[in-house]
Amino acid sequence: MEETNKQVPVTVLTGFLGAGKTTLLNRILTEQHGKKYAVIVNEFGEQGIDNDLVVDADEEVFEMNNGCICCTVRGDLIRILSGLMKRADKLDAIIVETTGLADPAPVAQTFFVDQDVADRTKLDAIVTVADAVHLSTQLTDHHEAEEQIAFADVVLLNKIDLVDESGLEVVKERIKKINPFAKIINTTKCGVSLNEILNLDAFSLKRVLDVEPDFLTSDHDHEHDDDVTSLSFVSDTPLDMEKFQDWFSKLLQTKGQDILRTKGILDFTGESDRYVFQGVHMLMDASPMGKWPEGKERSSRLVFIGRNLETMNLKEGFENCKSA
Amino acid sequence: MKADLYKLPELNKTKFENRGKEFKLGIPVTNAVTIGNSIAVGFGDGTVRIFSSGQSSEPIKAHKGIVLCMSKDGDNILTGGDDGCFLKISLDGKINEIGNFGTRWVDHVTANNGSLVCTSGNIVYLWMPNKKEPKLLEHESTIGGVAFDSKGRKLAVSRYGGVTLWKKDYSNKWTSSNLIWKGSHNKVIFSPDDRYLVTSMQENQLHFWRLKDKIDSAMSGYGAKIKSFAFVDDSKYLATSGANDAVCWPFDGDGPVGREPICLPYVGNKLVTFVEPFPNENAILTGLSDGSVFLSEIEKASNTIIIRSFTEFEVSAIAVTKDCSHLLIGDMGGNILWTSIWDEEKK
Repeated sequence: MEETNKQVPVTVLTGFLGAGKTTLLNRILTEQHGKKYAVIVNEFGEQGIDNDLVVDADEEVFEMNNGCICCTVRGDLIRILSGLMKRADKLDAIIVETTGLADPAPVAQTFFVDQDVADRTKLDAIVTVADAVHLSTQLTDHHEAEEQIAFADVVLLNKIDLVDESGLEVVKERIKKINPFAKIINTTKCGVSLNEILNLDAFSLKRVLDVEPDFLTSDHDHEHDDDVTSLSFVSDTPLDMEKFQDWFSKLLQTKGQDILRTKGILDFTGESDRYVFQGVHMLMDASPMGKWPEGKERSSRLVFIGRNLETMNLKEGFENCKSA
Repeated sequence: MKADLYKLPELNKTKFENRGKEFKLGIPVTNAVTIGNSIAVGFGDGTVRIFSSGQSSEPIKAHKGIVLCMSKDGDNILTGGDDGCFLKISLDGKINEIGNFGTRWVDHVTANNGSLVCTSGNIVYLWMPNKKEPKLLEHESTIGGVAFDSKGRKLAVSRYGGVTLWKKDYSNKWTSSNLIWKGSHNKVIFSPDDRYLVTSMQENQLHFWRLKDKIDSAMSGYGAKIKSFAFVDDSKYLATSGANDAVCWPFDGDGPVGREPICLPYVGNKLVTFVEPFPNENAILTGLSDGSVFLSEIEKASNTIIIRSFTEFEVSAIAVTKDCSHLLIGDMGGNILWTSIWDEEKK
């Protein structure tokens, strides 16, 4: 998924019905003068979308026939993105709006799995619009709401004028507990500068290096086993590459369904380059990303977002990868 | 950002390019279909052009966005587009709108003996000859491809999880049965002898069913998705794209199970993106991802000749005129070559 200038960026807008996705979409379309967008929608006709090129899709999730049950893709996106790439006029960007109850994983995985899609488009970012008033209840009642927060690169916390300050802090803490990476932007009526949600290149490995997550203490408590949470690990001792690969590939093979997103920067013994990776369930994009910056301490950082993380002995597994 | 270090080698034009006519239109070619000694070409700006005797017609403004799919009904062109329209276009450019599905794309079109078919989403719309209203055949998931058998009595519809095979009885009633194979199926074709049904899949493989006993099997080992495949020399071979070689599976006798395909190699290690059978011969025209096109005899790979050299754009269409005198090549960069096939002395 490394970039070339020929790839059209794709922004995915998720969020529950009524959170303000369509308001945001129309804001993007009206404020970006002179740009050509294609908008792929799944709840067409519900509210007017102000664009020439609106494509009506069915959210069709396909299991890949490769023996991996969590390797699902959006068949409709493959078809539509491949079609759009045959257009004579080049698009500046594509925006995919998902339905309120959609799991973002198959959308993200489509960009890893389908070569035609990966060659010509790139996943720019997942932007989740959340309703500050209702998010807490939605997170408790619907696992899809948790997944939408877990996968988000940006959470647009909308309608903040309708909650008080302490209420807002509670919601924000909840978001951070699920996803320490997501940038939370407070808005009313989705009033946000568009450069905070477009052209973020959030899925490139280069960006993994730029985003310092809010590392949390790992002594958080759980309300249900179902909860999506995150765990992060840091080590100043270099890791053994073979041990790490062995542990990590087995972990993803057996627990890939519960691990939603992973990101990491790794310091391997005997390697002068930083290794960077990011993944969605079992699918992984990884590469050496140049030398460690001079004068900066080398260290490995690893973040997991998922369910039942506490049952996976992640700390022990990670500790065992340290070079003796 | 990576610099593009791949430079095209200086190469002389082929004799086909020298004696043919090149059109640099700059609009991606999406489809081509032979109608007699003319070839209709669909483009990524929604237009259709008719090429004959080395001339291009004025562009026919058929669709708003992209000509997604193309077929023919007698001497008429059938097209489906991302504007939701299913059109019938005559060779002189008259457009007749058969169906309009609004924001839903028309993904596939086909015809047999006056019956017209288009698909949009998970529905097949079937117009029987001289009927104004279509019959709707609904499926559980979006349709990946559609094909009639040679007689027009069977209609294969590929989708997620396999193929729905519709059969028409003598009272013109359609009933369906299912051919099941896990995964998402795209393009579907019958062998010309109607014995086999073949699909390409989202995974880098093909699947086939032998219809008399429903034996089925996968054909795998490809490095890329198989976007183009076709039967050659009646039904003797299935030629396929998706690898650096043109992979040709034997379908004579008991079919390909337990047999090795013939792999036709090409210089440069580029991906085969398009295969087109050469009519009435055991030979194929092979288009590659760098724009080059070759003509190969399947059982005699040493008899491969180069038709077109590099353009750097993936070959997306090849068609041969009905009299086998000329061929047309189109690519994603909007380059078209129209050329005679035979040397003057052979004419």
